[in-house]
Amino acid sequence: MAGALTERDFVEKLEKAGFGDIKVHLREQVSVDDLALYPLFTDEIIELMRTLISSDRLEAVATSLIVTAKRRAGHLSP
Amino acid sequence: MHSDDVKDIVREAYGAIDSSTEAVAYKLYSPEELAGVPRSAIERALDVGNHLAFADIERGETILDLGCGGGIDSILAAQRTGPGGRVIALDFLPEMLERTAAAADEVGLDNVQTLEAEMEAIPLPEASIDHVISNGVINLSPRKRRVLAECARVLRPGGKLSVADLTVGDEELPPEILTHPATWAG
Repeated sequence: MAGALTERDFVEKLEKAGFGDIKVHLREQVSVDDLALYPLFTDEIIELMRTLISSDRLEAVATSLIVTAKRRAGHLSP
Repeated sequence: MHSDDVKDIVREAYGAIDSSTEAVAYKLYSPEELAGVPRSAIERALDVGNHLAFADIERGETILDLGCGGGIDSILAAQRTGPGGRVIALDFLPEMLERTAAAADEVGLDNVQTLEAEMEAIPLPEASIDHVISNGVINLSPRKRRVLAECARVLRPGGKLSVADLTVGDEELPPEILTHPATWAG
């Protein structure tokens, strides 16, 4: 999550890589409670998040995005 | 953070997971979808969305599952592409590939093959793939531009990409969170 892009940057990188017909099908907010479901997030980091993140952001610390695209025909940029 | 440091954190974090949960899979996938998936793959699912609900998978497609993890998406995609197609399940962690192969064996799928590799350097020929699927792993790469370029390279022209991944808003999280190893791996 720390390395995640914004949606704008993600779509821009898709376009630059050679993808077209880019469609964002779903955006779902990811809360700290959602992250707690994953074994990757220990109780320590979940508690740290609940302490340090403002209460209005606890319900939306990230967004789960579902995107489809198609590889454009022709030459790809290096 | 240095690129190699991020990879080491991800490798260590995923290798160290010693617990399992069905909660993630049952939050994202329907009971009908999970009916044909082995419990081992359900319990190891660490996905962030159900991109397969939007993926136009056709019979006979060659599909690359970028970062297959415990194998749930490879299993579902292999069932949809059928015996005339195949799924190449790529991951840089051998233990994930073993889990995916075991899950495929458990449900009698012989159209899933595993590939140990990094998503920044996919050892497949150009235009050899019909469909790339990926769930919650591109955000883990310190070289996302390279990952997407590799996806485009291995896809045939007109080939499809179906991705679920995490994105963030413009407002950054507190530095104590952003620099914590868990948030680089999760």
